[in-house]
Amino acid sequence: MLWAARALSLVTPLILVLAACYLLWSASRTWTGPLLVVTGVLGAAYVAVMPPWRYAVHRWEVTDEAVYAAAGWFVREWRIAPLSRIQTVDTVRGPLDQLLGLSTLVVTTASASGAVTIRGLEPGTAREAADRLNRTTQLTPGDAT
Amino acid sequence: MTERTPVETTDAPEPVAVAVGDAPAADAPDVPWLRLDQRVVWVNALRLLLSQLPAVIALFVVGVNPSVVWPLVGIAAWGVLRSVADLVRWIRTRYRITERYVERRTGLFVRRYRSVRRDRIRSVDADAKLLQRVARLRRVTIGAGQVNTAGESALTLNAVSLAEAHALRGQLLGAAAMEARTATDGAAADHDAAERPSGARQLAGFRWWWVCYNMFSVWAYLTAAGLLWGAYWMALMFGFDLGGWVTGLADWDGLGLLWTVLIALAATGLLGVVGMAGAFFTEHAHFRLERVPTADGTVLRTSQGLFKTREISRDDKRLRGVTLSEPLLWRWMRMTDTTVITTGLSMWSVAATILPRGPMSTARPVADAVLAEPDSPLAAPLRHHPPAALRRRVMWAGWLTAAACGLLGWLGATTALSADAWWITALVLLPLSLTLAYVGYRALGHSTAGRHLVVRSGAVSRATSALRRDAVSGVRVRQSLLQRRLGLATVAVSTAAGYGAYAAPDLAARDAAAFAADCLPTYVEPFRTQQADPPEAD
Repeated sequence: MLWAARALSLVTPLILVLAACYLLWSASRTWTGPLLVVTGVLGAAYVAVMPPWRYAVHRWEVTDEAVYAAAGWFVREWRIAPLSRIQTVDTVRGPLDQLLGLSTLVVTTASASGAVTIRGLEPGTAREAADRLNRTTQLTPGDAT
Repeated sequence: MTERTPVETTDAPEPVAVAVGDAPAADAPDVPWLRLDQRVVWVNALRLLLSQLPAVIALFVVGVNPSVVWPLVGIAAWGVLRSVADLVRWIRTRYRITERYVERRTGLFVRRYRSVRRDRIRSVDADAKLLQRVARLRRVTIGAGQVNTAGESALTLNAVSLAEAHALRGQLLGAAAMEARTATDGAAADHDAAERPSGARQLAGFRWWWVCYNMFSVWAYLTAAGLLWGAYWMALMFGFDLGGWVTGLADWDGLGLLWTVLIALAATGLLGVVGMAGAFFTEHAHFRLERVPTADGTVLRTSQGLFKTREISRDDKRLRGVTLSEPLLWRWMRMTDTTVITTGLSMWSVAATILPRGPMSTARPVADAVLAEPDSPLAAPLRHHPPAALRRRVMWAGWLTAAACGLLGWLGATTALSADAWWITALVLLPLSLTLAYVGYRALGHSTAGRHLVVRSGAVSRATSALRRDAVSGVRVRQSLLQRRLGLATVAVSTAAGYGAYAAPDLAARDAAAFAADCLPTYVEPFRTQQADPPEAD
């Protein structure tokens, strides 16, 4: 559901803007017309295909030593961050998350590109995982910066 | 790791290293306050005279119309203001060394007082600009162990005499610094030998033929343009029309457009090359890279500069690796840039470069010495990536060219753009992109050697990075749809140092998990399955 909502929220404004341009501004119809059609078709395909594909691919796990997340649909990513390198643990709820009753777990390490993001968790699970991470990371000193 | 001490006083439980306030401490009132050296006033007066010179020459010697000359008048006025400010500074500044503190008091309208605890002093450096060097003065910068990478200091004394600078260094740093100086006493080469602390090991020194590697670059044209523009305006201020002189040099219309353009390009190129060579010598003369032991460990120190010596120290405790990058067009010359991978420095800052551009024969030994491993990681043979990586790159090259041509063809059909644009672009883009794809494929490689992992990639600039394995803070394996078809994967390690992430693109998928496990030992293992696929959850 989350992914469907995110996909829609991405595609719909684009289509609306293009449709507005098409209707209101007749001089631009030569290129907004075909662009509207193309975006409409691609957008519909995106909304239909992406969410179930993502749902099949996404995985996550928190052990006593590392955090693991697998994400993506077209391009797949597997990320692993050892607990001893973790600097912050956040639970984030955006507007869509709050509507749908979900939350996101973000684990950052010392590197700017090392954050592990796990979306679409239940709030209870996310909070539990965050608490567990906080407890275990407090036991390991240093963060290898 | 060096701790970062705050500069403002806070209510810390123990006294801070550097305290800033506006009233002197009541510590040891009987130690006298010293003035900065008197020659500062003379240097200042000389600088004032020099700043007035361009305006005077333009107005009185050459007799130019005053309305053109306003930038020079601006420079003269600015020079006067600066001299007055410097004079006031000299009059109002006092410093003293007591048993536990180094204190400095300055300021006329805004009084400033700064003190540094002597047991927190980590470095005492002395440098000087050209005029100060002629007057045998030195600007002493005292560092108290804060993030001291690009020369930020806790306290600066600008300027004291040479003898006083050496005495300060000896007094503040202790006996170790004194030994290095006694051998060379009052010699003419006071700048390098006398200030080198004992135990420093030199890793590289200046070689004049490095200028060949630094002269030729696209920036030469930019330099030439800048020089010409500046020269044109300067000449105008002195009543000389540079543009008219150049047009009068030859019969440009008679030569024709092609020759004019060629000659102009050659002339600006030559000017730019000469300008860049001059810039190289000014910036890198007396270059020296050495590993210096300090109270806390060792630092990698570079010092360079013809008129103004610039010293940058990089803490060895923060060093995580070395990157050697080779630009494509100069690979026949084996031109190499050497940078260190370290925390605490932005990777785009100049301080990360430890050698000027030079040949690989200089860069490799320096990199090996910096890494200080018994078996150099850079000598380990790199594992090649599968030919499927070449297929991926060729496919991308093909698609991009096709997209560009399609766009141009559509534009050619519907708008006023020439209808031939698309196949001309194809003719140019296709061989270029295919060559880049092949070069990029040949540059790929990865390996693990001892405590380091080595990755190499890049078409336009082939970068070999050797990174310590214990500096890795996370690993990421990425596989796009095309990579899945071709059986490839990209492994990127994230680290706090350098660029943040170093990638080994397009490995064979069956090797990706093994390499990821090598990069981050013991953490990846629980997530692997025993198949030849990239890791899946268990």
